[in-house]
Amino acid sequence: MTDQPRDSAGVRRMQIRTLALSEIRRCLFSPKALPLVLLVGMPIALMILRALFMPSSMRANPSHATTEFAEVFHFFLLRFVVFFANALIFVRLFRGEILEQSLHYTLLAPLPRKVLVLGKYLGGLLSAVFLLVPATALTYFLVFLPHGAKGLSIMFSPTSLGQLARYELIVVLACISYGALFLLAGLFFKNPMVPAVLFLGWELLTPFLPQLLKSLSLVHYLVSFTPVPVSVAAFAILANPVAWWAALLALATATALLIFLASQVAGKLEISYSAD
Amino acid sequence: MSGDRIVFKGVSRFYGEVLGVNRINLEIAPGLTGLVGPNGSGKSTLMHLMTGLLRPSRGEITVLGVRPDQPEDLFRLVGYCTQYDSFPGGATGLSFLLYALALHGYSRDEAETRAWTALERVGLTDAAKRRIAGYSKGMRQRIKLAHAHCHDPQVLVLDEPLNGLDPMGRAEMIELFSSLAKGGKHVIVSSHILHEVDVISDGVIMIHGGSVVAEGAIRAVRGEITSHPIQVLVRSDRPHIVASKAFELPHVVEARVLDERNLLIRTRDADDFFARLTRIVLDNGVEVETVAPSDESVHAVYDYLIGDGSGGGTT
Repeated sequence: MTDQPRDSAGVRRMQIRTLALSEIRRCLFSPKALPLVLLVGMPIALMILRALFMPSSMRANPSHATTEFAEVFHFFLLRFVVFFANALIFVRLFRGEILEQSLHYTLLAPLPRKVLVLGKYLGGLLSAVFLLVPATALTYFLVFLPHGAKGLSIMFSPTSLGQLARYELIVVLACISYGALFLLAGLFFKNPMVPAVLFLGWELLTPFLPQLLKSLSLVHYLVSFTPVPVSVAAFAILANPVAWWAALLALATATALLIFLASQVAGKLEISYSAD
Repeated sequence: MSGDRIVFKGVSRFYGEVLGVNRINLEIAPGLTGLVGPNGSGKSTLMHLMTGLLRPSRGEITVLGVRPDQPEDLFRLVGYCTQYDSFPGGATGLSFLLYALALHGYSRDEAETRAWTALERVGLTDAAKRRIAGYSKGMRQRIKLAHAHCHDPQVLVLDEPLNGLDPMGRAEMIELFSSLAKGGKHVIVSSHILHEVDVISDGVIMIHGGSVVAEGAIRAVRGEITSHPIQVLVRSDRPHIVASKAFELPHVVEARVLDERNLLIRTRDADDFFARLTRIVLDNGVEVETVAPSDESVHAVYDYLIGDGSGGGTT
């Protein structure tokens, strides 16, 4: 052994950066990114179709655009696109390399497993944010666009931009918390999409659950940041709104716990591809 | 003394109820050590255990005093060339090594220098910027070797490293392993081909059915083995020429052309056959793609050494 770099904060930072950049390349700039890009492009495509086929009577009236986006955001963007985009990105971080039978190369590097988890998570998070934040902004813009100058002037008003910022905050928090959840799922399950779909079911059921069970879902905290309330369903059980700081604390705690668990599982990870 | 050794103390590893390796006690000194056994005997399990890719169900392992569950310390000492013939998607030979070296904490410039040095050592500089997916089997084997030693580790663990290499490539790699071992490093080479390891090793560990059945110098058993014909499968563009030239060798008892590219040789002196095959290739201008002693004959050798094949092994 000659002139090997010594363990230091600088080396750890370099390792985390290397892992994160590698994941970003894999997530965004490889042929495997195609399903992800198609998924994230769905709300944009829908809004383009809406703009093309919107009746002129509706075009003249932009007052409902804010509510329309709120509904699109709640029922499609957050609960479907953001959820599954995070599932696709984060379950692949470990499971993808296990299926590709290339994880051992990373495990043969002199880095603690918790650093490995952190680097991969960071790469996944940056990829998710890089895709979903612009997609949300573009969808928002496309909701207002068919209403012409009137719609755009509403969109660029301080109130509307503030609302967009709140939606983007929800997207980022969703990436942080769902990301941690799917990272762990990718380490635990051979086919993580099955638990992902089950968890989606749980998240969709949230409005109909009593307060105590609501608190066990992530979307319950995420929607507490929503700038425009949406009526969920006739049978929904109304719950006391969660204060922003409590929601933030709950999401941060859940994320930290999930990443800690992922580090523990990664610490015991063995290479036995034939078993996977 | 254990500070410069790889030590296994009562190590067992189970896969569910199936035993991988059983109560292994070993002390491996610096130098070139061959780990030999038939397919499925537990060689890869032993190497995975040594490098922390598997955890022992029982017992304790230290590599130069470091436990394999401490990757941050272990992989500054150890490089491992596994048997897995898979690579990260889209990687070129160079990017594959640069990624590994960046994970070791080398600066970009230092990583570049080390990557090119490693590529040169395995003869892949011309293919460095090509995608590994387009490499031949031999080139993939070479890039894995470059990956294992690009950070200049004290311990090199190589799982069947000569698989897929042509005779020239094998000779070059054997030379590389020998020079590393002579430099005071641990080089542990596994093979299911007893003769291959015998030629290059200072010592040998023979494993069968998950148990170590013999260790130390194998000169003592070599004489017995040479009287036992070994089968060698040769893949060449002109197998008839190789067959006719090989049959002129006194120790070759059979040279059978299997099809238009494959040829089976049975020889009582595999070392000499391998040495002379290079000359046959050079003198006759034939291309030899692979040379691989066939599995059955290794089993035969083990049966010969161990009895009916159950000798000491537990499954």
